[in-house]
Amino acid sequence: MNRVLPLFQRWPFAFAFLLALVLLVLNLIVSPSFLSPARLPGTLATLAPFVLVGFASTPSILAGGIDISVGPLATFINCLFVAILIPAGLGNWDLAAPIILAVAAGIGALNGILVAVLRLHPVVATTGMLFLLVGLSLTIAQNPVAAPNNWTEVFAGGIGVVPGALLTIGVAGLIWFALRRTAFVSNLLATGESDVSAYGSGVNIKAIRILAYTLGGLFAGIAGIALTAIVQSSQSSLASTYALLGLAAAVLGGTSLAGGRGGLLGALFGAVSIYLLQQLLTASGVAPSLIQFAYGAVLVVGVVLGATLLAPRLKRNAS
Amino acid sequence: MNNQPSGLVLTGVSKRFGATRALIDGDLRLRPGEIHTLLGENGSGKSTLVKIMGGVHRPDSGTVTLDGVPVTSRSPRAAMDLGIATVFQEVLTAGSQSVLENVWLGSHGTFRRRLGRAEQRSIAQDVLTRIAGAIPLDLPAGQLSLSERQALCIARALVRKPKVLILDESTASLDVSSRDRLFVEMRRLAAEGTAILFISHRMDEVAEISDRVTVLRSGRSVSTVERSDLSINRLIADMTGNSGHAETRRQPHDAGDTILQGAAVRLAPASAPIDFELRAGEVVGLAGLEGHGQDHFIKRLAGVAAGPGSVVRIRPEGAAELTERNGDALGVAYLPRERRGESLFESMSIRENFALPTLAKDRRGGLLDTRSIARRFDAFARTLSLRFGAAQDAISTLSGGNQQKVLLARWLATDPKVLLLNDPTRGVDIGTKREIYAILHRLSAEGMSVVVLSSEVDELVDLADRVLVFRDQSVFAEIPHSELSTESIVAAYFGQKSEVHT
Repeated sequence: MNRVLPLFQRWPFAFAFLLALVLLVLNLIVSPSFLSPARLPGTLATLAPFVLVGFASTPSILAGGIDISVGPLATFINCLFVAILIPAGLGNWDLAAPIILAVAAGIGALNGILVAVLRLHPVVATTGMLFLLVGLSLTIAQNPVAAPNNWTEVFAGGIGVVPGALLTIGVAGLIWFALRRTAFVSNLLATGESDVSAYGSGVNIKAIRILAYTLGGLFAGIAGIALTAIVQSSQSSLASTYALLGLAAAVLGGTSLAGGRGGLLGALFGAVSIYLLQQLLTASGVAPSLIQFAYGAVLVVGVVLGATLLAPRLKRNAS
Repeated sequence: MNNQPSGLVLTGVSKRFGATRALIDGDLRLRPGEIHTLLGENGSGKSTLVKIMGGVHRPDSGTVTLDGVPVTSRSPRAAMDLGIATVFQEVLTAGSQSVLENVWLGSHGTFRRRLGRAEQRSIAQDVLTRIAGAIPLDLPAGQLSLSERQALCIARALVRKPKVLILDESTASLDVSSRDRLFVEMRRLAAEGTAILFISHRMDEVAEISDRVTVLRSGRSVSTVERSDLSINRLIADMTGNSGHAETRRQPHDAGDTILQGAAVRLAPASAPIDFELRAGEVVGLAGLEGHGQDHFIKRLAGVAAGPGSVVRIRPEGAAELTERNGDALGVAYLPRERRGESLFESMSIRENFALPTLAKDRRGGLLDTRSIARRFDAFARTLSLRFGAAQDAISTLSGGNQQKVLLARWLATDPKVLLLNDPTRGVDIGTKREIYAILHRLSAEGMSVVVLSSEVDELVDLADRVLVFRDQSVFAEIPHSELSTESIVAAYFGQKSEVHT
């Protein structure tokens, strides 16, 4: 244990990674064909929205805030695309994709402005946004509307041998990877860790915060596309399902709610863990009502572990 | 505009925070190539002046110019873009980020990195080595010692190659060898034309490094002294002014038996232990520059902070160690420093604020007797000459001074034998201050023991039988009644055991 703990502290996502590994093995025992090439694209496509709302939750948490509205934003994007853009003849990818991503990023930016400029508490601001988005989704698509054939199907299947879900997850991952090579992620982590230090050192913390929420919105937009890919209809009712899953994935993946520590890799393993747990429980015939209970239990354990055992012990001499 | 750069010039700068006038008339000329020290006791306006120069605050009036061009920085970033780099008093690091990231924190744009990785490393290594010795660049900053983190903050300012460098108490947390290296670096930078503003509460440092010294007192610049005219006595005299206020001064008198005793109390792991005895009817003042341990010490006496050493209440029925819970029972009352947050229930009434800890006295058959509360409150309102509309009004309708009196009444209602007051007249108007002093004099004459921490030197001279001056988390000097003066206290603030005048 003495050698394991520092490992966890060095890599906050290690717990979620190990958990995902264990759950994968259990899944393979319960259902040996779990990873067969025939099932893989479908499996990954179902997984993708989980991972992407996890990604979407991460930047705002890293900035020391929180965005509760990313899940409903993803379902809003789904409704917008199926119930408005396609009927309006804007369904082609070259039109729809830019519109979707701009709207999603714009809503994220609005959250950022509420938090960073108007100084609303992030929970208040983004809870307000959550209800707003749920309401909007219900207004534009009260009942599920089936989508005609469209470009998002690619992400449920695949292009050649490449599963389509890897594209949506991959694009988000690439954006993050590119940002890591700029100063943005350093500024983001410093702002989340100690906004006083960042401000005093000359970081434009307002801009950083707004951009963090914008990035979360953008990822939520991609999550909306990944969601549309598998449901192929407007599903305003899914908002509540995804509302907190993203946060759960990020936190389980070791991203600290205090800000400044964590990253997308954590959200990836966190989301995979949650998804695998759901699969496992379903495949072993556990009642659906218990699945939520199990989520909750795993999350509580994960957060407790993260907060106590695994948190880095830094000397913090107040001065 | 001159051809020759005139440096950073502040003229008639003022700044108000609510009712507090932090800076009334701040003047400062910081020339290129000089090391200029800013000196002043608590509340003299130093930090406000620094924060105006550093872009944190904007002045209400007055002008700031850099080389003749008006400066209107809206943020530390804007100030840095003009070439003004500030090392703030607080040691500002992002603990889980690497040392390297911390050194360059804020130098980058939102996306654009300044310099390549390799160049960043070599410059950071070079600057850090010149101040603190070798620090591994990839270590999380939180694992460094306080001195190393302070060095890191200085390095962060130095890598920007500023025209104006402001060091606000940056030597306070530096170890001696790092400080010496910083001085070498400061002299080198000054020789290259950098204007350096230096703030320190160590007189020996001020005497060693300053080309000129400007003294601030009560928000005004009172003097600027050239190196050749520098004398510590003069600086202390400038800091304290010559305010005569002996008329209210407390007369010496005999104290009774010891009723509170601290033994080997340590405020920091490496600091010297403190032995302390408080006797009946005595008023002891605690003083020191912000953050030197006096605040922690009074909390230890109150039992609200724990640590090495013991604090014991001595009563006829026996001695008992103070803890967080038994202050009331032992007759020890503590009035915290922050009225908001630590003491007041802001949405509740004046009377409720008074009565909350002592409601047990108003119990009649398991219910509250509101008339009993009113009676008790009225009695205290009279003796403390409290001014208010109605007792049911919200406490927030009162002035700061009257709020403080209500809180004083709250704790006096517990019938304490020991009253611990943490800066009781902060934000209190002068008239009410005088009234509070009179109340304290009366209480001590009746046998109550009072420990009062104050950030105002005059107040301690007026109030105390003796004053303990804190430096570096321990008692630096104990000034007896016969030697009590603003000069002797301020001299001790700055590490001088003065024989200035006795």
